[in-house]
Amino acid sequence: MLFRIDTASGEPLYAQLAAQVRSGVARGELRAGERLPSARELAGALDVNLHTVLHAYQDLRDEGVIELHRGRGAVVAARAGADLTELHDAVARLAQVARRLAVAPETVTTLVKEALR
Amino acid sequence: MTAPHPAAPAGPVPHRASSVLLCGVVPLVVVAAAAGVALSWAPDLPDPVAIHWGPSGVDGFDTLPRLLLGTGAVALVLAAGALVLAVVAGRQASVRRLCAGMATGLSVGLSALVLGVLHAQRGLTDARDVGDVGAAVTAMLVGGLVAGALAAWATPGDRALPADRPVDPDAPRVPLAEHERAAWTRTASGSTVLVAGGAAVLLVAGLAVTMPMPALWLLVVVLAALLGAMSVFRVRVDAAGLTARSALGWPTLRVPLDEVEEARTVTVDPFADFGGWGYRVGAQGRVGVVLRRGEGLEVRRTGGRAMVVTVDDAATAAALLNTLADRSRGATRG
Repeated sequence: MLFRIDTASGEPLYAQLAAQVRSGVARGELRAGERLPSARELAGALDVNLHTVLHAYQDLRDEGVIELHRGRGAVVAARAGADLTELHDAVARLAQVARRLAVAPETVTTLVKEALR
Repeated sequence: MTAPHPAAPAGPVPHRASSVLLCGVVPLVVVAAAAGVALSWAPDLPDPVAIHWGPSGVDGFDTLPRLLLGTGAVALVLAAGALVLAVVAGRQASVRRLCAGMATGLSVGLSALVLGVLHAQRGLTDARDVGDVGAAVTAMLVGGLVAGALAAWATPGDRALPADRPVDPDAPRVPLAEHERAAWTRTASGSTVLVAGGAAVLLVAGLAVTMPMPALWLLVVVLAALLGAMSVFRVRVDAAGLTARSALGWPTLRVPLDEVEEARTVTVDPFADFGGWGYRVGAQGRVGVVLRRGEGLEVRRTGGRAMVVTVDDAATAAALLNTLADRSRGATRG
């Protein structure tokens, strides 16, 4: 799985990482039972603090996306990969409409975030 | 198909002298010395000597010179094969290490076996009276493994060989902004290796239980360690380049970013391309972590070297490796 962080973004690094695991699961790229890299490995690979990765993993565990096992590391939870086809379709339609109306991506995500509050 | 990006000239295969020494001279000296010792024992040995053991004891006999010629020929033919591979295709240290370890380990192991078996027959007039030769088998395994490991250790490594040209512009890339960092990781494994390797370990363990030969337990341990070292790898692409690290921690294969010429996806056929599964050497000295058939990541590396790992999502790995390699070239130039 590809992890990327944008150091110039205002979003905290742990939140960026957690969002990628979430979307990886939602896209079906990360299947239930798949092992994520250990926090130490991922922190080393991205050259970020170990606690940044641990923070992301703990948030994901609290949401039920991953399970943290001592020794075995982080594993994608069985119920994380629910069928999200309907949501994907809706997102695709949203993107289509936003493009047609020429609304900036930032505006669209802000609107979505507000709607989900 | 696009025209291939011209590869950097590879130059001659490096460290050929050490390959000749470790794959040719050392095995030759070992086999000759063992034969010399065996011939010096000839007055004490029965004629013919016992050379083969079945379930009910000794069942094969031959003359001493024929035994020495036969085992010497086997050891030296295998060593010659390793020597040719090392001199022709040994562009990477792992290939040269494998050849040196095979040639030296086999010649020492076979020599230890022959000397052990003959030693047990010294002072006998009839070879049928020979006792247990388990010690000779242990000597073969321990001697062969230790000598092979020493030869691999003594093999000179690869020197750093930074690329002097950009990554192939036609190779895939990942769009990555200047202030973005990216890493890719994945676990590579394969059921064939686990099933076949596990079966081999169980088979030898079964033999070890039923046969009174302690050396077999040593073989069980060696096979289990080999299985652990060769069946599951963590593969990573990041600012350090490509790393494929076995679940045991050894072996670990690395390609630094500044030695990446091009990364791409390939389709791997384990038998046709690498002659089997595991940590392998394939045609033209391509080194592979081959755990299953199908999609794999291939990295062309400076010095005419290439490495392959069978791993899912290899396209992303290849694109990121090319992108990070671009970045590292820019950093050293600017």
